[in-house]
Amino acid sequence: MITVNRLCKTFRIPVAREGRFAALRSLLSGEQRLKEAVRDISFTIGRGEFVGYIGPNGAGKSTTIKMLTGILHPTSGSVDIGGLSPQLHRQRVVRRLGVVFGQRSQLWWDLPVRDSYDILAAMYRLEERAARLRLGELSELLGLGEFLDTPVRKLSLGQRMRADLAAALLHDPDVLFLDEPTIGLDVAAKRSIRGFLHTLNRDLGTTILLTTHDMDDIERLCSRVMVINHGQLGYDGTIAELRERIGLPTVARVTFRAGCAVPSAAEAAGLPFVIVERAPGALTLAWNRRELTALEMLRIVSAWGEADDVHMEEPAFEDVIHRVY
Amino acid sequence: MKANLRLYVLLIRASVRGAMQYKFNFIGSAFVSALVQFSEFLMVALVLVRFGSVDGWSWYEVGYLCGVMTLARALYRSFASDVHYLEKYLVSGDLDPLLLRPVPLLLALMTQNVRLLVGDLAQGALLVAVCLRELLASGQADWTAIPLTLLAIVSGAVLLFAIGLATAACGFWLTRIEALQNMSEDAARSAAQYPLTLYPRWMRTLLLVALPVGLVSYVPALYIVRGEYGAWLLVAAAGAAAVFLLLALRLWTLGVSRYQSTGS
Amino acid sequence: MLFTVLAKKAYARNLQYRASHLLHNVVSLVFGFIYIRIWAGLGEGSPLGEYGSQGMVAYIAFNQCLLWVTMFITNGLGLEQSVRTGQIALDLLRPAHLFYQAMSREWGQIAYQFLYKSLPIYILYFFMFSLRLPDNGLVFLWTAVAVAFAAYLSICIQYLIGLAALWTIESRWFFWLNYALGMLLAGFFIPLSWVPGWLRALSFCSPYPYLLYVPTRQYMGLDGPGALLGAAGWACALTALGFFATRLARRKLEVQGG
Repeated sequence: MITVNRLCKTFRIPVAREGRFAALRSLLSGEQRLKEAVRDISFTIGRGEFVGYIGPNGAGKSTTIKMLTGILHPTSGSVDIGGLSPQLHRQRVVRRLGVVFGQRSQLWWDLPVRDSYDILAAMYRLEERAARLRLGELSELLGLGEFLDTPVRKLSLGQRMRADLAAALLHDPDVLFLDEPTIGLDVAAKRSIRGFLHTLNRDLGTTILLTTHDMDDIERLCSRVMVINHGQLGYDGTIAELRERIGLPTVARVTFRAGCAVPSAAEAAGLPFVIVERAPGALTLAWNRRELTALEMLRIVSAWGEADDVHMEEPAFEDVIHRVY
Repeated sequence: MKANLRLYVLLIRASVRGAMQYKFNFIGSAFVSALVQFSEFLMVALVLVRFGSVDGWSWYEVGYLCGVMTLARALYRSFASDVHYLEKYLVSGDLDPLLLRPVPLLLALMTQNVRLLVGDLAQGALLVAVCLRELLASGQADWTAIPLTLLAIVSGAVLLFAIGLATAACGFWLTRIEALQNMSEDAARSAAQYPLTLYPRWMRTLLLVALPVGLVSYVPALYIVRGEYGAWLLVAAAGAAAVFLLLALRLWTLGVSRYQSTGS
Repeated sequence: MLFTVLAKKAYARNLQYRASHLLHNVVSLVFGFIYIRIWAGLGEGSPLGEYGSQGMVAYIAFNQCLLWVTMFITNGLGLEQSVRTGQIALDLLRPAHLFYQAMSREWGQIAYQFLYKSLPIYILYFFMFSLRLPDNGLVFLWTAVAVAFAAYLSICIQYLIGLAALWTIESRWFFWLNYALGMLLAGFFIPLSWVPGWLRALSFCSPYPYLLYVPTRQYMGLDGPGALLGAAGWACALTALGFFATRLARRKLEVQGG
């Protein structure tokens, strides 16, 4: 569906001068600094995939998205969406894309929501009856009925996000790009949007590319994640593989009934796990699941005393990502 | 092309409908806008009332010039309002969402804040009506002046749009174009509301060839109300409008591709 | 002193743009050139009364310079923005009077615009159109006083416009009305001595003539300092009005809660 081949984007930034008449001197000097925002990125997204695209700020995420949507022309490399290049056939490509920006609305600010949909239907050359039908479906799925006639500027953030989603899906696109769709939303709203996206992908087969800083979104929705940093693709694969690759330790806290024979430092060095914390009657350990199963760990620990309770924690996905960054 | 036109009409209706929801605001702002335009004209009118004529042009003739210019501008700004505000879009990055629409960027921009400048249109129409009536009564113009004036207004609107578009396109290179717009749109228009014979030759040439605001009302008026030269003046003005529009569109397309290559 | 602190900050904030501001002065020159040509054309038909054609050049030129300390100052003194963000409630709570705060900031802005706009524009006109400087020191003095009054009156007017934002969203209208009426009644393009009697009377019922017409006539040495008494009167009246409006504003916020 989407093929990106050796994509590069270099910006020329004029060097800022200091001192008197700084602006004028910058303009006249013509000196420029090169900034490589995106370096040699290649990937392929197949139909029906739900991919997360993450990276720290300034890594080149939005630049990539802009090149995928035809807003920006790449310095070199190619983008192919459904057989067309967004650079050469912007309007045709965009007709089959849906895009939602979390921070900026695509709707007409002063007009009622319904009017925006009418305008979009005309822009995308949708047949009137088909458009009405589609709007009805989306309205039911996203609960738009209550505010279809309210001007966009009067909507709450959650309502606006739902309206924007509907706007992006009105013309039944094959591909959906989402940029921070759950930013600023409360827990209930996030959950409902996530549910909707999941349904969209699973039941309707829409290919979705999600850019976000919310790791919960990624974990719950994406089957595959791509990590970009410093303009390059650091990782491209499933979430499970990523966890394994990074190998952050599982942490367990074992409480003992009547104290334990804590091993000395020398003995501890030979163990397949690390003792993070010693408290009276409890031990906190960190170990790698790949090297040792939980059961084996418990067997070793039980030798030191009667274990009363165990509490285990998997590494947070955020921490995993942090490692990749 | 036809689909785009239909889309455009739809957008205008939607925008007007939206504005009508706030009736008080709509009427009030139309009124204020008209008053601003009118007070500008009043400054001119007072001068003429006192002095009778300027450079051989009578009160009614100059009023005609002002009225045609006002109407042409009102048409241009009603149908292409946000082109003039491109700088705002460039600075805030709001141009990108417009590129996500399956229409040419210019169309998307022109349809963003469609606002019929009713007040300005009314004031311009009134002015032209008053002046034409007098000129018709005094026999200086005949009934053909009416359709010809309409033609001049429309071709003038196209010309002003072309100038505005070209100036805005410079924004893709310069970003800050407010001063440029002040000169190419506001100053040039103010100048061309008076007979161009007031200005030195170099300026006259400038206002007829490079920044052809002179072709909006002055040149058509030469024929319509003063009977000088011939009807070919109007044809030439309309033709020039078309040519300038094409040139401006080329510059715009160039600017957009530059924007897409360099980002913002 | 609070006045100098606020004024200096407003002044300094503009300095980063001074290169582009200086460049923009060319625009003013273009406009002035157009108006001067129109008057030259008018002057061919009839003698231009007490001004003469050279005098009209000076009239237009000085008005162009004055615009930057009178008509082109901050819209509503920034109070519309303050109302929108709710900042105004905080500002009204402070020990210094709101008018004092807003005025101090604006004086800094006016000082900047005087140095980087009015003055350079005057210099440009001086060389391009061979303006004559005032003959004696007294004319200089009274011109300066008149200009100071003009700036102060503009501040008062903008203050009232800005406060109007508390009562209506459409305070923009007042701004545009003020601009349109102001240009007309202040004799920007045509000296008030040449407008019909009824209009002149109407103008002098407003503070507008003291923004452009009166200071320019002082500069040209056409009026004695007595003409400035009206300016002083309006200054008192508008200041009083400003204080009254502030009291209303405070009461409105107390009742409504911001």
